Amino acid sequence: MPAVTFDQVTVAVERDHAPEPKVLLNEVNLRLEERRIGVIGANGSGKSTLLRLVNGLVQPTAGTVSVDGDDTVRAVRKVRRNVGFVFTDPLSQLVMPTGREDVELSLRRGVKNGAERRNKAEAALEGLGLQHLADQSIYELSGGERQLMALAAVLAVNPSVLVLDEPSTLLDLRNRELLRRTLSGLDQQIIMSTHDLDLALEMDRVLVIEQGEVSFDGGPAEAVAAYRALCMDGFQARGPVNQ
Amino acid sequence: MRGHGFLLANYVPGNSLIHRSPLALKFLLVFSCGLASFIIVDWRVSLAVLGGLAGLFLLAGAGLKRLWTAVRPLAAVLLVIGLFQWWQLGAPTAARIVLNILVCVVAASLLTATTPVQSLLDGVVKAATPFRRFGADPERFALTIGIMLRSIPYIAGTFADVRDSARARGLERNPRALILPVFITSVAFARQTGEALAARGLGDAED
Repeated sequence: MPAVTFDQVTVAVERDHAPEPKVLLNEVNLRLEERRIGVIGANGSGKSTLLRLVNGLVQPTAGTVSVDGDDTVRAVRKVRRNVGFVFTDPLSQLVMPTGREDVELSLRRGVKNGAERRNKAEAALEGLGLQHLADQSIYELSGGERQLMALAAVLAVNPSVLVLDEPSTLLDLRNRELLRRTLSGLDQQIIMSTHDLDLALEMDRVLVIEQGEVSFDGGPAEAVAAYRALCMDGFQARGPVNQ
Repeated sequence: MRGHGFLLANYVPGNSLIHRSPLALKFLLVFSCGLASFIIVDWRVSLAVLGGLAGLFLLAGAGLKRLWTAVRPLAAVLLVIGLFQWWQLGAPTAARIVLNILVCVVAASLLTATTPVQSLLDGVVKAATPFRRFGADPERFALTIGIMLRSIPYIAGTFADVRDSARARGLERNPRALILPVFITSVAFARQTGEALAARGLGDAED
């Protein structure tokens, strides 16, 4: 498995009406080598920022992030060839009218020959069992089918690391199950943020992010328990909502 | 989101004569129709050209429904243009102008319905290759066209959604309640698209 390394990583953003920048991630140190890594935490805790750093979509304010030794700032193009990124909403990721066209778009940079590109796209679609949906408008697909189509477009270029930012958030139970089964069959290293704690329990390692820091790092059962405790803590302190 | 309200028809797989025609010829057809819309002065000629193009569209197996889908979003605009021109310049001129616009739309729809987007993009890359010596990146040209094809229906769909929301709140007569959300959503869409392309390494300068 490739090694994704965070070395003293801080991400902070300037705010218009505040004297101090807002710290999204604070001095994070990690070495991620496991095959399935889950990232859980509350909304706004810094999960997406952590994931975006891996693909170079966000750059650290301080510290470095590297994928297999390649710095995500200095070697961003190489990093993006190795790290596929799947967004929460597949509609913001699919930029072509049909799935086949979108998969072929992914391949344009690396495969100049049209016939070869078509064959590779077909293989990528077949790999996820999507060939029967390939020529449908992306708007005619269900949420799960769209998410799988976005995944096919990312996998077509054969990345070694797959980063998924809450891929099941917009999906119903059936589509979530479809996605879960598909992901479990992939060879790539997977780093995925999720609010689906059942999915998190299937990971090899789970990070709990709280206010820009890794508050727990370990096995999935312990991490989920730690996260539940963290969430419940707030309620116990506040008391019942309707009082 | 009603982004499926495509102004231009999606590709329809097929093996018709039009599908097999060289891309350059189809480009030439669209270009000629655009040019002809300035030259034709008789509405009957415009009608004949439109009929011919509609015939080709059906011959390609794209279907009447798809043809109507391509034209329908323009109906209200064409009605306004037609009425205004009728009032200003008379019925024959109004008919000619409306028909010429339809000729352009149907010709463009014929191109997109019979040509896979990737072939269109390959054509753009080929056409833009001579500009490489001036520092242009043909793949970026193609990507821009591809994104344009996707963005127009998305924004049209956004407008439909926003109009419904405004209607539900009794604000359908308030232009701010219509324009501002469409503008904000469009900017957000542009940002998301840019991010998605960057994540896939698309749009970077060539290696």
